[in-house]
Amino acid sequence: MSAATDRLADLPIDATQAGLGLLGLALVFLASPLFFQPPPGAFVLLEVGVLFVLYAMILVGLNLQFGHTGLVNFGPVAFFAVGGYTAAILTADQPYQAVGLGLPWPIGVAGAVLAAAALGVLLGISTLRLRGDFLAIVTLAVAEIVHGLIISFRDVTGGSTGLFNVPQPVADATGAGGGADIVSTLLVFGALALVFYGLFRRLSAAPYGRVLRAIRADEQVTETLGKRVFRYKLVVFVYGAAIAGLAGALLVLYNGSASATFFTIDVTVIVWVGMLIGGAGNDRGVIGGLAIIMGFQLVTRFMNDAVPYVTQDQFASIRLMLIGLLLMAIVRYRPQGLWGDADRLGVDS
Amino acid sequence: MDIPLLQEVIFGLVIGSYIALGAIGFTLVYGLVNMINFAHGEFITIGAFVGYLTIVVAGLPLPVGIVATLAITAVVGWAIARVTFEPMNDAGAVPLLLMSIGLGFVLRNGMRVVAGPDRRSVRLDVTTYRFDDWGFFITSQQLLIIGLALVAVVALHVFLSRTMLGIAMRATSDNEDLALVSGIDTRRIRNTVWLAASALAGVAGLMLAISQAANPTVGYGQLLLLITAAILGGAGSPYGAIVGSYLLGIGITVSVAVLPSNLTELNATMAFVVLIVVLLIRPGGIVDTEVRAS
Amino acid sequence: MCCERISRNDGVSTDRRAVLRATGVAAAGAVGLAGCLGTEGGDGSGEVGDSVLVGQPASLTGTWDYLQPAASAATDLAVQQINDAGGALDVTFEVERQDTAVETQQAREVVSQFVNNDDVVAINGLFSSELEPLWDFLQEQEVPIITPWPGSTYLDTRGGDKGTDDVSDDEWLWRTVIGDTVHTAGAAQAMIEEAGIERMGILSATSAGEEGWTRQFTNWYEQLGGEIVEVISAQGGQASYQSQLNQLFESDFDAWALSFGLEDAITIIQNWQDGGYGRQLLMEDGLRDGALIDEVGAEAEGAWIAAGSSEGPNYDQFLEGFQEVSDEELHPWGVAAYDATNVIALAVHHAGGVSPEDVQRSIGAVSRPGGTTVTTFGEGKEALDAGEEINYEGAVTNVDFTDHGNVWGDVVVERITPGGFETEFTVEADQLQSQIDEY
Repeated sequence: MSAATDRLADLPIDATQAGLGLLGLALVFLASPLFFQPPPGAFVLLEVGVLFVLYAMILVGLNLQFGHTGLVNFGPVAFFAVGGYTAAILTADQPYQAVGLGLPWPIGVAGAVLAAAALGVLLGISTLRLRGDFLAIVTLAVAEIVHGLIISFRDVTGGSTGLFNVPQPVADATGAGGGADIVSTLLVFGALALVFYGLFRRLSAAPYGRVLRAIRADEQVTETLGKRVFRYKLVVFVYGAAIAGLAGALLVLYNGSASATFFTIDVTVIVWVGMLIGGAGNDRGVIGGLAIIMGFQLVTRFMNDAVPYVTQDQFASIRLMLIGLLLMAIVRYRPQGLWGDADRLGVDS
Repeated sequence: MDIPLLQEVIFGLVIGSYIALGAIGFTLVYGLVNMINFAHGEFITIGAFVGYLTIVVAGLPLPVGIVATLAITAVVGWAIARVTFEPMNDAGAVPLLLMSIGLGFVLRNGMRVVAGPDRRSVRLDVTTYRFDDWGFFITSQQLLIIGLALVAVVALHVFLSRTMLGIAMRATSDNEDLALVSGIDTRRIRNTVWLAASALAGVAGLMLAISQAANPTVGYGQLLLLITAAILGGAGSPYGAIVGSYLLGIGITVSVAVLPSNLTELNATMAFVVLIVVLLIRPGGIVDTEVRAS
Repeated sequence: MCCERISRNDGVSTDRRAVLRATGVAAAGAVGLAGCLGTEGGDGSGEVGDSVLVGQPASLTGTWDYLQPAASAATDLAVQQINDAGGALDVTFEVERQDTAVETQQAREVVSQFVNNDDVVAINGLFSSELEPLWDFLQEQEVPIITPWPGSTYLDTRGGDKGTDDVSDDEWLWRTVIGDTVHTAGAAQAMIEEAGIERMGILSATSAGEEGWTRQFTNWYEQLGGEIVEVISAQGGQASYQSQLNQLFESDFDAWALSFGLEDAITIIQNWQDGGYGRQLLMEDGLRDGALIDEVGAEAEGAWIAAGSSEGPNYDQFLEGFQEVSDEELHPWGVAAYDATNVIALAVHHAGGVSPEDVQRSIGAVSRPGGTTVTTFGEGKEALDAGEEINYEGAVTNVDFTDHGNVWGDVVVERITPGGFETEFTVEADQLQSQIDEY
């Protein structure tokens, strides 16, 4: 990648250690009566930041699945949703029109990860033997089935209305309201994301990662070299599922509610677009790609007055067109992604 | 004498017809241009608007309108593909996929800016034919839609089996390198594919404008279903796509009758369940397309 | 996806790398700047700038995009009339519209932007599926929200200023549209008592608003002794609903209720007509839309629709003005958006400043009974400048907010004809008030 981030690689500590350190600091910060009130103008940036960090967690798993192992998973939102709703159902206290068990939030988080991982195992065992393109559509289908189930079983999940009264542990610990809560949340979630980023990076940098990339390049050869390809694929799939489930639980605990619109196909689109424009397989690059797309979405909100001769109503559609054009431009001139490796991705640019 | 589920099967044939034309176009592109076109829904939407313009605004009679929609959408779709996908044809499947996602955003929202979100529909006079003895009815509109799909399928079959270009397309789909070596002009094949896929999308759009409405997201709403149908039938095979579409259509409508009454809204989700079940049994899809070198 | 090719790419030149690095830095910088951008209107200190800004979260893209044009046009009409009268506090009155696509996460960002970056005095909008999951977040913002959209029963006991002058017990949410509780009570009463229909079936969408209507209507109907024989739910956006209708009409009932968004409802009514299923149709209030008459006025002839009266004291005046500037078809929420905008402007003028807290306190004052009755902003401004208290009466209802920030209105049961909606009878607000405890 660029020289600036290369210097990061030369630091004596790696991402996991940095993440753990930051997490420790964040927890101390939470426990203390201190809080940090950001300037009001930065609130929306922080809000998007929290979402960015959670999507980045999903992306890290997805990159391991697709960027390194070549598994085309078009349904990360399924695990995101399963994790989120599991955590919500387990921890909500008298939600409006749904089931809420009122259990402590750590159980919710653990339940979320387990449920998402379980779905990952189920799905992996039945479908990972499918050819790549078919896996793509099956994962997409599963995401739609999960969404359909959430809407239909409205007495359990709250359906389209949503599930409320979920605890908000970080906000409660900070207790200062408003922006301070978001800052604390960003610190904790950011630290967690960094930890997982580091862990997954270690995996991909190790010989384990080389096996994954060999599987991506040619499964049959890797199999003949004595590596149980299916096992590797399943494990990677479940890792991705679990981290997406965790991200879902965190989202729900941040908002204090679960809403069906948190878990739509738009999440899959953003995460995939971020990965592809950043350069699949490049661990730092994909995060950069996600930052670019989400940053662009945010910046364009402030351009309401920038485009002449269109009404405010029309501008909303133009804003989405601009996002589409950005995508098209990046793909046209850097098909392997801004930081992707053309050879490894088999792209002719 | 009520034939059980006959009415649901008829409804399923109608829904299958909407899906079929879109799915065939999608799968042709998938098989011959080697890309997943996530903007295919927008081609259908273009067809819906063109259909509205030709039949309602320009007042052309229906048969003329159908042909006009087909022709115009074919050219427009081909032109869009020529400008966006053709220049990066060698880049690989993933960049083309990403390009199609971006294109979808641009087209969908571009149409909303131009047309507004309001509803426009093509209304036809509908007569209902009742067969109460047998326990079903069918409307002239439903017959039209099934008929259009049938005609399109037959025309496609004739094209693929009787014309040189069609045979060349099948050869390319089967084994691209061999086709190249035997002198087939793959560029010309791709042009034909885009024209055919867009033409079919145009007719599909017109059907939707008749039964639903012409609005900027009408095609996008069908996208997931038609991709599912195409894959279900066997990716890249137009015949498979047809079978897959009707199977899905019937599955969706029959499941309304079969599901318990508080879960009937899952009928749309049943399409995806059908897909997974079929792929578990026949990993290549119904037509069981051969695995391409990965 | 799986087809790899051996490429002869030499790799990226250092020039490109430099460009990419610059792009990355620029992107990061832009994102950072975004936090500081976009301050318009007042500076939040209560001092009036050269304009008063209201934030309007809007459904400009997404599933419900077809509902926005009428609401936008009605809001813009109100803004124009307000500025023609000199504007609140004698400065320009502006509404900033941002798209949320009715998605909770986007709504959260948009509200944050409005409150923190744009320093709006109030928020005019938000759907129930945005309000309810974000309830605590919205309360924290301490900015009044007056919305024309949600009928949800969740908001019956939440919102408003609780009738006290003390802002600390306020719940900041007001709605100018009549809640589901009220008009489904009227609808159920109409079915049982006026029409003598004791068994009904329902075809309901799975979306939040429609599902809420179905739930509440079922409650009332069964409370009055009726029986809901069958409820069939369906997802929106389908090309044909014949199979759902076929399934529904296999049950035995005398009338059926349709609780669906407008676009799909039109498809359903066409399917219903084609299938010749018959029986009396009752429609959800959201279908009281001119576009329904245009598209299926003939097919739906004779069907009933029970809606909170959308013809309040000011309606004719509003309609006249609306038809001059827009040819959009109106629906109840569009008209309610007009009321919401006017109330905000009057509250700002009454408050004498742009602090959201002061505006919140003034909302009850300008809308509740007592004082000179006014029906436009111009009249209200005149009266306020003369030192009088005012009571704004709106286009949908008389906008006499309850303690929980809700409005009452008569429920009008109308019949669909190809020419429009014809009033059959009215269920008076007083009668409904006696049956509904907390609202």
